[in-house]
Amino acid sequence: MKGYRDYFLRKFAWFIVTVVVAFTLNFILPRLMPGDPVAAIAARMAQGMSNATGVQAVYEQYTRLFAIDKPILEQYVVYIGNVFRGDFGYSISQYPRTVADVISASVWWTIALQFPAIIVGWIIGNTLGALAAYVRKGFDKVLLPLSIFLSNMPAFGMAIVLLVIFSVDLKWFPTSGGYDYAMIPNMSWDFVWSVIVHYQLPFWSIVLITIGGQAIGMRSMAIYELNADYVKYARFLGIKDFKIIQYVFRNAMLPQITGLALSIGTMVGGALVAEIIFNYPGLGSTILTAVLGGDYPLISATTLIITLMALVAFFALEIVYGLIDPRIKAAQSD
Amino acid sequence: MAKVVLEVNELTTRYITRFRESIYAVDHVSLKVESGKSLGIAGESGCGKSTLALSLMGYYFAPLHYTSGEIIVDERNITGLDPDEVRKTILGTEISYIPQAAMNALNPTRRVINFIEDVIQAHRPGITRTEVYAMAKERFELLGLPAEVLHKYPVELSGGMKQRTVIATSVILSPKVLIADEPSSALDVTSQKMVIKMVMDLMDKGIIKSLVFITHELPLLYNVTDDIMVMYAGQVIEKGSAQEMVFDPIHPYTKALMGSIIVPEAGLRNVKLAAIPGTPPNLKNPPSGCRFAERCKYVMPECRVASVELQKASEGRAYRCLIPEEDLRKAYKHEK
Repeated sequence: MKGYRDYFLRKFAWFIVTVVVAFTLNFILPRLMPGDPVAAIAARMAQGMSNATGVQAVYEQYTRLFAIDKPILEQYVVYIGNVFRGDFGYSISQYPRTVADVISASVWWTIALQFPAIIVGWIIGNTLGALAAYVRKGFDKVLLPLSIFLSNMPAFGMAIVLLVIFSVDLKWFPTSGGYDYAMIPNMSWDFVWSVIVHYQLPFWSIVLITIGGQAIGMRSMAIYELNADYVKYARFLGIKDFKIIQYVFRNAMLPQITGLALSIGTMVGGALVAEIIFNYPGLGSTILTAVLGGDYPLISATTLIITLMALVAFFALEIVYGLIDPRIKAAQSD
Repeated sequence: MAKVVLEVNELTTRYITRFRESIYAVDHVSLKVESGKSLGIAGESGCGKSTLALSLMGYYFAPLHYTSGEIIVDERNITGLDPDEVRKTILGTEISYIPQAAMNALNPTRRVINFIEDVIQAHRPGITRTEVYAMAKERFELLGLPAEVLHKYPVELSGGMKQRTVIATSVILSPKVLIADEPSSALDVTSQKMVIKMVMDLMDKGIIKSLVFITHELPLLYNVTDDIMVMYAGQVIEKGSAQEMVFDPIHPYTKALMGSIIVPEAGLRNVKLAAIPGTPPNLKNPPSGCRFAERCKYVMPECRVASVELQKASEGRAYRCLIPEEDLRKAYKHEK
């Protein structure tokens, strides 16, 4: 167990280093973008004013509010302090809303869309891949090309195909939004139904792409494992096929867990395109508006969320792997 | 005469390739192993010896298919039995197997004891964990393996230890016949010795009754087994007692096989190594005559005409050649 503790501590130290680097980059990179976003709100706020001094005063007021007149290092120090208190400041493009407010309004839409879609896609994809490897024959001949097609389809392509077929032509589902625009969010059945209907296309576009990639991975891993020497040996010692299949799929599943963690970790970033196409009120759409508006505080906060989710997912993955895969466990003591 | 534990008559098995071609890797092979005896099978790579090992168990899965012949284990004919019946009542308990690649023979994500539990459970459903552990511990200790090995994962064991673990696992249910397919070929010399000693111990300690030992090293067989059978291109080319096969080979192939062995002694560099020229025939279309004809020093035109049958020489001795044994012996003497 000492070996495991050292492994954990080493991984944790790397995790912290990565977080610090990522945090810094998240702060600096948006601020290197060209353009002056403050000028944009100042112009909006100063609309109708003819007094040049007044306009100048409004501009300076917002410059102070967002502290962009201070040296970047000082801004960074203040930013760290604020973030630790949970304060991400005001959004520039959606002023006077705060960043925390904008994110909390959209992040749950993304999580509710992505998380179930990834899990469902992962489970279906792995089951189909495992079946294809075990059954082979016709099932495999159909599944494999289909999976390759699905997994290579870009997210926006899949979204547009579904959009054209199911909402433009068949008119089964609405084309955009998270719920009917005529409605005010509440807990009525009408509203919930509207959310469910709007949910389907973005959900299935993500599920289908996930299924493709996972099925291909699982199929080749399972075929590899089915031909492994230990399968032959176990058979010749009279172990039941059912038990052997359990061995095979458990071993083939291990690399697939990486795929799952990867998708969950990067889900916010991955959803961007699908959310934008369906105009879904999630974090992806928020990031798009933030980037278009040069909204530094919002960009930094959203990218920070994406980075943290990915890093936590990978960290958790390494820790879990160390526990479930004896081969990695043995390597830890090196 | 002692009781025959394993008897195989005219067994033929083939591989069916994805292009639906048949490759007869085991072609009308017959053998007999008595209780307390061991049989060695030798031959070059690709001669069908490993396929024979797999075929002997009566449990076939693609691409290997049963074609004809019979297998009798302890007076019970197991040919034509339902595969599930073979799995339950033959494998592991009557006939067991040590694979060639012991390095990867154990499931990497299962502890040795759990794997052993699966093996025992497959034959004795309902056995408790404590009983399994007691059985495994007793067997491992009897074979000189520490009981701690049971709690390890395969990756935590060295190559030699893994091989010995595989051997102990194979005989956990005291099978009557053990088929060892090159159990020592991937190991260093020290581990090799340990493994060979362990296999011989299995016989001495009465854990198994008979042994079939497969290797490409003929002299190793001389030390391990009572009888030796040499295979070439899927067929038995000569069989006899270990003593006779090594010191008085009849078939030109056996003779050549003995000559191609490297003996580590002073001045080896000056000795010309007598390798056998040529390669074994392609079993997709085996030659119509003697399969060794292409590489044989003593080949005659008749050799290529019709297939050559096994000729009985003396009791338990047979060879597959058209030339009478006296003439072959004379020719060998003349060469010296």
